[in-house]
Order: sequence, then C-alpha cells, then structure tokens
Amino acid sequence: MSASLATASTVEQALAQLAAGARPVAGGTDLVVGARQGKAPLPERLVAIHRLAELSEIRESSTEVALGALVSHRRCSESGTVRDRLTALADACAIVGSIATRTTGTLGGNLMNASPAMETGGPLLCFGASVTLRSAAGSRSLGIDELLAGPGRTTAASDELLEAVSVPLPPAGTGSCYARLEYRRQMEIAIAGATAVVTLANGEVTDARIAMTALSPAIGRAGEAEAALIGSGGEPDAIRRAAQALAAAASPISDVRASASYRRAMAVVIGRRAIEAALARARGEWVPVPASTALHGGVR
Amino acid sequence: MTATAQRPRLIRQDGREKVTGAGRYTADVVAAGQLHARFRYSDHARARILRIDTSRARELAGVLAIVTHEDVPDVLYGQMVKDRRLFAREEVRFDSDVIAAVAATTPEIAQAAAELIQVDYEPLEAVCDPELALEPGTPLIHERWASYEADETMERDGNVLGRSTIVRGDATAAMAGADVVVSSRYEADGAHGVPIEPRAVLAQWQGDRVTIWSSTQTPFAARSGVALTLGIPESHVRIIVPLLGGGFGSKCDFHFEAHVAALARKAGRPVRLVFSRREEFVAPDHRRESIAIELQTGARRDGTLVARRARLVLDAGAYCGEGGFFAQLAAMHAIGPYVIENVDIDSRLVYTNNQPSGSIRAPTAPQTCWAVEQHMDELAAALELDPVELRRRTLIEEGSESPTRQVFGPVGIRHTLERAAQMIGYGQPLPENEAIGVACGWWPSFGMPSGAYVKLNGDGTATIVTGAQENGSGAVMGLPLIAAQVLGMRPEDFSILCQDTDAGPYDSGSSGSQTTFNNGRAVAEAAGEVAQRLRELAAEQLEIDPLDLELAGGEVRVKGSPDRSVAISELAAADAEILGKGSGAVPEQPACSPDSGCLGRLGMESFLEPQLITHAVHVRVDPETGVVRVLRVAAAHDSGTIINPIGANGQVHGGVVMGIGQALTEGMALDGHGHQRNPHLLDYKLQTAADAPRIEIAWIETPAVNGGPNGSKGVGEPPSVPTPGAIANAIARATGRRVHRLPMTPERVWEAGR
Repeated sequence: MSASLATASTVEQALAQLAAGARPVAGGTDLVVGARQGKAPLPERLVAIHRLAELSEIRESSTEVALGALVSHRRCSESGTVRDRLTALADACAIVGSIATRTTGTLGGNLMNASPAMETGGPLLCFGASVTLRSAAGSRSLGIDELLAGPGRTTAASDELLEAVSVPLPPAGTGSCYARLEYRRQMEIAIAGATAVVTLANGEVTDARIAMTALSPAIGRAGEAEAALIGSGGEPDAIRRAAQALAAAASPISDVRASASYRRAMAVVIGRRAIEAALARARGEWVPVPASTALHGGVR
Repeated sequence: MTATAQRPRLIRQDGREKVTGAGRYTADVVAAGQLHARFRYSDHARARILRIDTSRARELAGVLAIVTHEDVPDVLYGQMVKDRRLFAREEVRFDSDVIAAVAATTPEIAQAAAELIQVDYEPLEAVCDPELALEPGTPLIHERWASYEADETMERDGNVLGRSTIVRGDATAAMAGADVVVSSRYEADGAHGVPIEPRAVLAQWQGDRVTIWSSTQTPFAARSGVALTLGIPESHVRIIVPLLGGGFGSKCDFHFEAHVAALARKAGRPVRLVFSRREEFVAPDHRRESIAIELQTGARRDGTLVARRARLVLDAGAYCGEGGFFAQLAAMHAIGPYVIENVDIDSRLVYTNNQPSGSIRAPTAPQTCWAVEQHMDELAAALELDPVELRRRTLIEEGSESPTRQVFGPVGIRHTLERAAQMIGYGQPLPENEAIGVACGWWPSFGMPSGAYVKLNGDGTATIVTGAQENGSGAVMGLPLIAAQVLGMRPEDFSILCQDTDAGPYDSGSSGSQTTFNNGRAVAEAAGEVAQRLRELAAEQLEIDPLDLELAGGEVRVKGSPDRSVAISELAAADAEILGKGSGAVPEQPACSPDSGCLGRLGMESFLEPQLITHAVHVRVDPETGVVRVLRVAAAHDSGTIINPIGANGQVHGGVVMGIGQALTEGMALDGHGHQRNPHLLDYKLQTAADAPRIEIAWIETPAVNGGPNGSKGVGEPPSVPTPGAIANAIARATGRRVHRLPMTPERVWEAGR
C-alpha cells in the first residue's frame, strides 16, 4: 500500500516530489493494474501528475509534432496530423488495450513503462522521435533508442520527468504502418508487431525504417530489413526479403502467448504486411487506421 | 403459440441498478468491525505436509485469528465422493489447496501473515496427465480412496474417481460390417467460467448462529456444506446472496463459506474474504475439465450409424467437488442426439494433481460435442455426403430410441438443423478463406424439487418469496411473468425476495438450467393457490360460483360478463392472509433400460426433455496467422415453449460468445507440474464485445410434454454447447485441415495448416 500520494499542480512541484523519491503516476493503467496483479508493489510515495496542463498539449510546427507526456493514446490517434503524417503512431495508439485504456493511459506512461511489447515504441523509434526529460537541475533531450534500455528499464534518472515526445515530420512521399498479430479485437497485447516507415521518390524507396515489437528483449530497428528495401521499387520480392531479414534479426521467446517458432513465422507475415501497408500509404492509397484490424485476412 | 416477438417484454428488476453501478454485490457489504481474510495456499501440487507453524504470523500486529485443520472438525466433504478437508492436514493435492486462513485488520496484513506461516513439506511427484494417472504404477492421488464415503453408484478404482459405460448391442461386430469406419482423437484443454465478479464471502456470528453473505449460485448447498464441515445444525447457518456478478457454474456448490465462518468464530469479529482475479482462476474447485476423446464410428453407405466406440478420459483434478457425475454426462454427449445402432462408450473421470473440475455451463458438453461434431463431418467426408445431409439422416426424432432404450417424445432437433442452415445461408458461395460449419448438440432438463411462496400485499401487489438464486441469467427476474399469467396481474406488480436461506423454501440453486423449469413450476402453483383464494373471496362478494370466475386485468371477474368484477387490490386490502405456497410435482425421469454392460448409472442415462440445438457459423480464417474471426452465428434451439423471450435470447447471445471463447482463445495453459501459466485476463483471453459476431436466433418451440411451466425446458446451458464444434467444422472447411486440440488458438490453426 502506498504511504503517500501528492497531487502536483505545477511541474516544479512534481519535480520536487521526484527529487524526494516519489514516482509519477498519470493514467495509472500500468502502475495500478501491475500492483493489483502483484507484478510490482505500488511505490511508497507517488506524485500524481495528471493535472499538469502543460504536459497535455499537442504542439505542431512545420517540422515536428510535440506530444506532451500526458497526451492519451486516444487523443494521439485522433490527431489529424498524427494520422496523416505519422500514421504508424496512430495505428499503434488506436490499438493499445481497450477504449478505457486508451482514454486513460498516456503516451508518456507507455514509453516510461518500457515494455518490449509496447505499441508506440516502434513507430516513435522509426520516426526518430526524441524525449525531453526534466529534473530540478534542468532539461535534456534523448533519442527514443537512447531512452529504452531493456524490458521495464529506461535511462532516465529517478528524479527526471518525461515532459514531451518530439516527433519530426517525415518528408513528403512517406507512408508508415504499425501492425501486430491480434488474437482478439480488443484488450490485446503484441505477440509480434512490426513498424515500417518508407519514403518513395519516383517509385523508388529512398528511405526505409523497420522495427520489430515483442520479438526481441527491446524494440529495435532491423538494419538488414531496411537495406533490403532501400533502392527497390517496393516489389513483392523486395518486401519478402525485407520481412525475412526482420524475422532473422528477431530473437523470439517461447511463452504462454506463443512459441518462438510461431513468433518467428509471424515476424515474416506481420513484417510483410506492415511494409505493404506503409508502401500503399506512401503511394497515397487508403489503408484504414488502425491497420492491424484490417490486415487480418485482408491486405496481402 | 404467438411469435416470441409478440410476447411480453419483461425488463428485469435488477437491470437498472446493475448498469448504473448502484447494485451491491457481496464485496460491497460491510459489517461493523469486520476483518479481512487471506488464505495460505499450498506451495506444491503434491506434497506431504510435515509441519505447519503459524507462530511468526500470529505475532504480526493486526492479526486476530489464524485457522488451520486443527481449528475445525476433521470432516471430509464432497458431493458424490467425500475426499476433501477444508484445510489440508497431511497432504496437499493441488497448488491451491488451502492450508491456513488468516484474519487481520487489513487485507495487506492478512496477506503478509499468510506468507509468514511456515510450512514444511516433503514434495512428491505431481501427477498432472489424466491418461498417465490411469497407468499401473502411477501414484494414487488419494491413497485411502477406498475408505471414502461415496455415492454407491460411483464406479471407483484408484485414480478413477468415476467411470460410466454405455453399451448397446455389439459395436465390434457392427463396426466390422460397416461400409465406412472413421477414427478420430481430440483433446480439449481445461477452461474457466470467469465470472466478472470474483467471489466474496462475509461471515458474522451471533451466538452460535452464523449469517454468511456469499457470492454463491447455490445458497442451500453452501448452507449444507458449512453445517457439515463445522459440525453445526443447518438451521444455525443463514446464507444471503447479494447481487451475483455472474457464475457460469463456477460458483455452484459449497466453496469458501466455512473457511471464513471458522475465522470469524475464532476472531470473534465479522470476517470478509474477497478474491483477487488470480485466486478466482486458480483456487475454486470449479473449472471446465480437460478431456481426451477417442471416437470411432461405422456407417452404412446411406449414412446409417451402425456403431460407435468412444473412450473418454476426463481430468477430475484433485478432488470430487460437485463434478462426480461428469463421466456419465460425457458418455451421453459422446453419443449425442443421434440414432446409433450399437455403442460401446467408456468414460472415466480421473484424479490428478490439477485444480479440481466442477460444473461450468454445460459441463463436459461443449468439448465432447466439439469432438463428436468434427468426427461427424469427417464421417460425412468419408461417405461423400454433405455434413448437413448426414445429420438430417441420423438425428433423433419422435419415437427414436436412444442407446439406453429411452424412447423420445416430440423433439425438434431436425427442425433446428434446417432452420440454422437456412438462416446462415448454407451452401452459398463464399469468398476465399471463409466457410460455414454446422454442429448439433443436446442437454438434459433436470427435474428437481423446488419451492416458492406468493403473498398478496394490501395494495394489490404481490411478493414472490423463493429459494431460487439469480446468477445473472435473469431466470429469477423472469418469475413474475409466470405468476402474473396465473393471477391476471402485470409482471411489474410483483416484487421478489430471494437468495436468503432463512426466507425461501429449498431450491437446488442456479445450476443445471433449472430455475425456470423447476422454480417456475413452484411459483405457478403458489400463484394458483392465491388465485383460488381470490376466487373464493370474490365469489362471496359477487354471490357466484368460484368456477364461473376468471382473473384478468387486475380483477376477478365473471366469465363472459367482465362488468361484474372485483379488483384484486380491494380483496387484498380486506384480507391480510392471502398467501400461496407451491412446489409442484417434479417431472419424472424418462424410462430407459440400459444393457447390462452399462456401469456407473447415475441417473443421466436418460435425458429428461432434452434441449436440442443446432448452431451454424460463418468464419473467416487468416491462413497465414491462423487467426479465426467468427462473422455470423445462426442459433436454432428447441427449448420447448419460451416464456421470457428477452431473457432466452440473452442466454443465447451470452452462450454463443462464451462458446466462441472456448473455441478460439480460452484455455488453461498448464505447465505439466500442476500450475496454470495464464491465471489472469491478459493471457486467459475472453472474447470482448468487439469480437461478438452477428447472432441470429430461432426458437423451435416444441412444447415439452413432461417439462416446466407452459411446456418449457431449460435454456441457460445449451447455447454454449455446439458453438466450438460448429466453428471447428467451419475452420476445417475453410482450410482443409482439422484442428485436434481445443481451444483452436491461432498457433494451433496455423500449425494444422503447415
């Protein structure tokens, strides 16, 4: 049982609490459920940050979108700019947990929980997003790849608060997709997920960023998969080679959700589907958000 | 009979409080000064207990009582075989056997104390595979099984808790002479009922009497269990059930009421237990049994089923609980609603060190039906017959004789087949990776004693006092329809007092689809007594023979002269003693004469007024991932006359979705050492509202001759019976491959297609 809970009304108050040993809570969808299930006890001291309006904003410029740490998955997935320009992130945010989870849970919480199965990690990594961490001593900026350190671990210090996630807008001609294997339509967790961000110029893939989710201890990009696609015209053969390279880079485990061999086979299938949908979007074709639901038995 | 759509639409009385969150469940009940209970469970699936030391736990501040086997009488309990103690004494037999219970001022302190209890064990090799448990040389789960008090009809032997066989004719010879013989083996994993309300118990003593608020489906069984295990008279135990948040069978029978009562008695304060979701998965002696099913059927070219052989091995888990009858029920489902000339069915319910099995909505039926209906489709393929055509030729009809020589009365199973096929558009061309599958099933009605009172209130309303239990299905909430019909009043004129063993007459509880079937009869009889009294009183006022009076529109009036009448409210205001009671005659079990080779006859070798079902489903399979989506379900049921269409439809909607879960995503993942690997809702995957398909329902109303009120049968359990089988057949049609293990998870569908 938590010994104390303070509600911060300014970022400074929250930082002071963190410096004194408190842990932050926003939506609570990971923290509270985890404590109830006995995964991790509630911290002795909590600071509630859900009233910090400045962390709840979505700020857009011509070059980037800055998503406050408290932006809910639902708001993120419903943002026009995110849907149009950062579609893979909208795909991901639209399938986190249930409607209740998406309305309550925050992007910042999802990131700092650092689950290898988190939906938003792959898209943010591929878009080259960075985070602003702030402590009483000042602020610093880190790439997503520098933030995520392993299952349940980040490189943030205990007195640092995630303020915002900045996502650079990709160039014109870019399409993206996050897809995952889903056993059911809601309340799902990634068993195998893939992100693809591809840029087309004159029909040629000029840039490709491909990452896997729940297929390795941390969400990571697959350089060989990207290389297989860059320079191609996005033909089925190139897509197949890229998906196979993604699966080859995976280090799947066997657990109650799936065997390693099934996960690896699904890496090929889900990877291919994510790349296909990203290419389709890059060409201006319509693929619904979230893509995962439509992809099962649908798009090839 | 009017179309069901034109019958009264009864909005259940407990609906508003439930959907607005105002409803109070057991965990919401608070007694002044109450303490919180936590259990210490066994740390092993099988071990000898060498020592239990509670001294460190007792020293923890805030701990007021700790109870072990030393604090309660040494009593064995269990419905058909008495094989379990409240608190393990010498041996633990599954990983959630209760060793001790702690009462403390907070749940956290109680939990900490439970963990401080020192238990020394001699770990023993756990026996977790029921087929292995049958092998000679395998350790006995219960070394002293032969000394246990047991129902004399139970065929027991070592690890075999119960065996049932159904034999008719010479299956071996008939098989040898068949044109086509098909053999199959199917395995169904265990599963759970997963009520959304985890169970809760609150016990409060006054002198030597205890009141227990419990989330039970069977308050009278809970009362008996407490009395037996604590050695006190039943009359000293009162069970009250606040709103029940679902049960699906898992809250049947006596469960943890006595543990909490023992704690409350020792602590001298009320004690409340509220289960975590994890406990709700692992600790109850209720979960759907796994079954290994071997089937062989011989047929003539025209489809006539000349012989069936079946071998079924069911996992009973560590204790009998209330599931002792499963072997016979599974044997009946291995036959199904078909005419088969010769049968040789052998069904064994086997002890293991797994969680005990107990009734979950139509126990043994969905799994066995899933296997049998796939087997029938395999037979149809071998005969080069359409699967629906094979069923058309082999399903029972009026006058058919079962393998135990029960002769069926009017049964609408063939109509359900035609109707379901028609609703789903059977035979239509479908896109690639889509297919339709069909399955038929049955489930008995259970005739049991039941009682009710109907008392007229001074304001002209009435109260139904019943021992029946509302588990969420709406069956008790539908009782006013029956009383209103008898009394010529409106359903909304009735209040209901139920779920209190000190108030209502005995009822066997919300189990076996029996509430409307049996308590409906009791309510109708009680209302009939009130109606008779009203006619007598009105006859005096109107100076007319009571036989010339009828009750309608809230009045007692002269037949043919509705102007001559007296309001029921007027009669009620003038006479405070208008009270009816009823139980009604329990329908008799149909006669049957099983061959001499039939062992383990527990009374289910004939099916009273069978409920008959065909489900047809339309699925889409993603062949690359094995993910299956159910797009449409057509459900045609013969449950006799439908009394409350909203309630009956609700049972089909819920049962179909539960069946889809069992078919595709819901299964206990066991580690082979007696531990469940997915005791939480993230990895025990229920179907969500978003997964629910379009469900179309047809009621084939064949009035039951020997049934419940107005020719009704039960309706609660059958909707979950044929759904997995129909989905399995659809998957096989879409992919060309059969999935031999339930649930048919994406990985298993994918694996079958490799």
